[in-house]
Amino acid sequence: MSQTLVVCPFCGCGCNFYLEEREGKAVGVTPSREHPVSKGALCAKGWSAYGFVNHPERLRSPMMRDHGIIRDVTWGEALDHVSTKLLEIKKEFGSESLGFLSSAKVTNEENYLLMKMARAAFKSNNVDHCARLCHASTVAGLAASFGSGAMTNSIEEFEDAEAFFVIGSNTTEQHPMIATRIIQAVVNKKAKLIVADPRDIRLAKWATVWLRHKVGSDVALLNGLMHVILKEGWEDRAFIESRTENFEELKNLVAAYSPERVAEITGVDPESLRKAAQTYATSKKAMIVYAMGITQHVAGTDNVKSCANLAMLTGHMGFPSTGVNPLRGQNNVQGACDMGGLPNVYTDYQPVADPKVKKKFEEAWGVTDLNDKPGLTLTDMIAKAEKGELKALYVMGENPIVSDPNAHHVMKALRKLDFLVVQDIFLSETAGFAHVILPAVTFAEKDGTFTNTERRVQLSRQALAPLDGAMPDWRIISEISSRAGYPMNYKSSAEILAEINRVTPSYGGITLERLKNTWGLQWPCPDEKHPGSPFLHKDRFKRGLGRFEGREYIPPPEVPDEEYPFVLTTGRVAFQYHTRTMTRRIPILEREAPKAFLEMNPIDARRLRVRDGMMVAVESRRGQQRLPVLLTSVVPEGVVFGAFHYGEANINELTTSAADPVAKIPELKSCAVNIRRL
Amino acid sequence: MKRLKKEKVLGFLKEMGNSATVYCPQFQAGKDLMLLPLGDSLYKGEIGKTTFAAKNILFPQSEETLSFMGKQISKVTDSTRTLVFGIRPCEMRAIQFTDRFMTRDNFIDPNYISRRRGMTCMVVACQEPPSDTCFCMDAGGMPYLDKGYDIQLFDAGDFYLAVSDSEQGEELLRNKHFEQGNEKDEERIEAIKRKAVQSQKNRPGTKRAIEILKDGTPDKTFWERLADKCINCGSCVYVCPTCTCFNVFDLPLEGGFMRYRTWDACLHAGFTKETSGHNPRPTLGSRLARRWEHKLKYDVINYNESGCVGCGRCSDACPVGLGAVDIIKEVNRLAVADPV
Repeated sequence: MSQTLVVCPFCGCGCNFYLEEREGKAVGVTPSREHPVSKGALCAKGWSAYGFVNHPERLRSPMMRDHGIIRDVTWGEALDHVSTKLLEIKKEFGSESLGFLSSAKVTNEENYLLMKMARAAFKSNNVDHCARLCHASTVAGLAASFGSGAMTNSIEEFEDAEAFFVIGSNTTEQHPMIATRIIQAVVNKKAKLIVADPRDIRLAKWATVWLRHKVGSDVALLNGLMHVILKEGWEDRAFIESRTENFEELKNLVAAYSPERVAEITGVDPESLRKAAQTYATSKKAMIVYAMGITQHVAGTDNVKSCANLAMLTGHMGFPSTGVNPLRGQNNVQGACDMGGLPNVYTDYQPVADPKVKKKFEEAWGVTDLNDKPGLTLTDMIAKAEKGELKALYVMGENPIVSDPNAHHVMKALRKLDFLVVQDIFLSETAGFAHVILPAVTFAEKDGTFTNTERRVQLSRQALAPLDGAMPDWRIISEISSRAGYPMNYKSSAEILAEINRVTPSYGGITLERLKNTWGLQWPCPDEKHPGSPFLHKDRFKRGLGRFEGREYIPPPEVPDEEYPFVLTTGRVAFQYHTRTMTRRIPILEREAPKAFLEMNPIDARRLRVRDGMMVAVESRRGQQRLPVLLTSVVPEGVVFGAFHYGEANINELTTSAADPVAKIPELKSCAVNIRRL
Repeated sequence: MKRLKKEKVLGFLKEMGNSATVYCPQFQAGKDLMLLPLGDSLYKGEIGKTTFAAKNILFPQSEETLSFMGKQISKVTDSTRTLVFGIRPCEMRAIQFTDRFMTRDNFIDPNYISRRRGMTCMVVACQEPPSDTCFCMDAGGMPYLDKGYDIQLFDAGDFYLAVSDSEQGEELLRNKHFEQGNEKDEERIEAIKRKAVQSQKNRPGTKRAIEILKDGTPDKTFWERLADKCINCGSCVYVCPTCTCFNVFDLPLEGGFMRYRTWDACLHAGFTKETSGHNPRPTLGSRLARRWEHKLKYDVINYNESGCVGCGRCSDACPVGLGAVDIIKEVNRLAVADPV
């Protein structure tokens, strides 16, 4: 029996626990009491995190599709085939025809290697991952406003906040350990809570003001708040003058968002709007907290910029318990972005198009001719695949068929590929389409670092030997890259981290030695003397002055009409994790949320003559799905809600791939549907 | 009565390690105190409140219970001999409580009992509460035990004073690492006990809470109001030394199936949900009520003893302040507001 300190494999909170091993298997967890996030507790998922590690359905051998039949092959055969095939396709169609999806579920080191392989071995910048579907708009929006697209403050700082503005985050379900800080601050320290959400989420119960705005009307709501703040003189003049630019433009823009007009667009009454504006603006330490409800819209980047505008307008920036706090949904989605798992940047967001950066990486990697043209985003890769322009896709630990919008379109695109490689721990829906399947290992079977939502880079230690037949992702990538003519001879994950330290300014001081003796370090941490950065933009924004970028409200791409009279919005539940490849194999979690459902307001149900539990057909312009109805006033009239976890009743067959023009994040939060009684 | 010098503890435990798996409190990662198998590198002689009590050893988070190989069905039990050093009196009371629960009505839990039979318990009495959430005396216990342990140790500075309450314990005291004490040791123990009792200041009002719950059921809104904070994580249940509910499931093995059981939490809706979909405890508030009425009401009715030993682990763990200390205080407040 042994206990090994690891980082939780689920959400971006980044809890630490000791994984208990007995006879080579993961059998339990003990939360760390001293860890700044877990503090002796875990959420329901964390408590069960050992449960999928030794599941009998783990992939144990590489597999190849041969004339439609999948057969087990040796590692040698699989690796040779993958490298040869990728080189062939590159030779025939060019490096632009190759796509690589890195993963928010694997370590920083592995993400670094995948993007290095894509760029150095195959000269392709077509590297992206599912951050495209969650916080691409954060990265784009906050980079424009502040110069850095990450959570500005820290989880511990929630405990001292005087006010929270939670918009588009169902925090108790998706980031439970962060939600507990909010609840505790409200209950014990009388902090004020503003919740803006179309759904009556659990946090709404604790809200000083709950703004039930219409799905997709966030920009109008935020502009309305700013309108009131400016009208009442609650803005922070000194901050605006000394720290920001472009204020006049914002002022002129929000002038048109009177509470009455905002009420028309959002459905929020002027009095509540005013109360929310006052509560947020007149509290000294006020934090904006948001997640997918802000980002997963065609107006995602606009939403993010508007949140940034609000924080800057009131001077809630640059000191503890303030800021703009996007909550990241996966244990390493922050890290996957930091490591350059994005089409336009290397690590630490160094642009591929910058000649100096290009030269730096050519020297560091010992290559010439790195591609300086930004590559394709995940959404564009799928679109190009459908057109036959993208020929090969290498997917590491992602399941786009369930996670991406418009699943029929994704499946059609994947079928068109000449070559699809999927590297995963279970046979995911996407792996079912692959030409080659490479069995990787779980978090428990490798060393490496993960970066949580508050930019805390943490060491996770190997607790178990790799499952027989499976290999850590970083080894698989090294093997393929070496075979493709760009040798990678790393002996350990630690060697890769040392290289990351050298080429990544924000990770410069985040060395293995330091991580071994701390609960992690928060970037930026440029050198080994630097203590790390609990909050950002202290006296100066990363970009110098914070930039107000006022945005106009644009309606969602699909609004209800006669044919499709309901708004469908999607989200998650506390007991399942994303596309469920892990949590469906943990009996307690699966028991709690075993099947897909459609939340519907009882008033709508009465009109449609639908009872609780009854199956209905939900139809959009892209597909249809049968789902049992869950009657609840959590959703307002005219809105239905489904969780996207369930591949067998895939709600993403209904959603639209209409995307934000800047960040290419799809509109996963809103589409028009019709509901038919069966 | 014997003495065990503190400097000899490690030697003694190592010797015990020849015939049993020895568990004692050790710091993991230099920071978290946990009850772990003895390892040279981690042992610092620390005594305190470990994250889990010995429950994690007797009733592990997940375990195999039955194997089905063709027509062959066999029990899987573990009778490893273990010695647990450094658990606290409240934890020993929790083991006594669980012993009774796992054998009630002649229904023997084979997995628990086989491990329990192989376990020797060496308790270290508390001189002062190991943490500010401890409330053993309020919960009907004492910072030391009168009976039901193998060996109980009292901290007398450089050495422990050791008494036994079982044949096994008596035999252990004959081990060469223990030394003969002197005639004043009895008195020393009494003095330590008196001091320990005086140091127990945390009084949330368990007895009163039990009385209140015995006489009536609080309004439903009472529990629902508390549950508004609960995030349904199960931490309070999992760290509780007397909570032993479990879930059962089968997984395929080569040539058959294995039945597993894992810790479960009554706060989860699926714990009571019936096949029809009906749930007799449909809300979080009703499940919170179930959990606390179980401990403070029905255990008292059934066993004449509350299911809470006052270790305070749930209060340490709960991220929203709904541990025993808080719940008991809330129930007491209820009485003030609305006398039953």
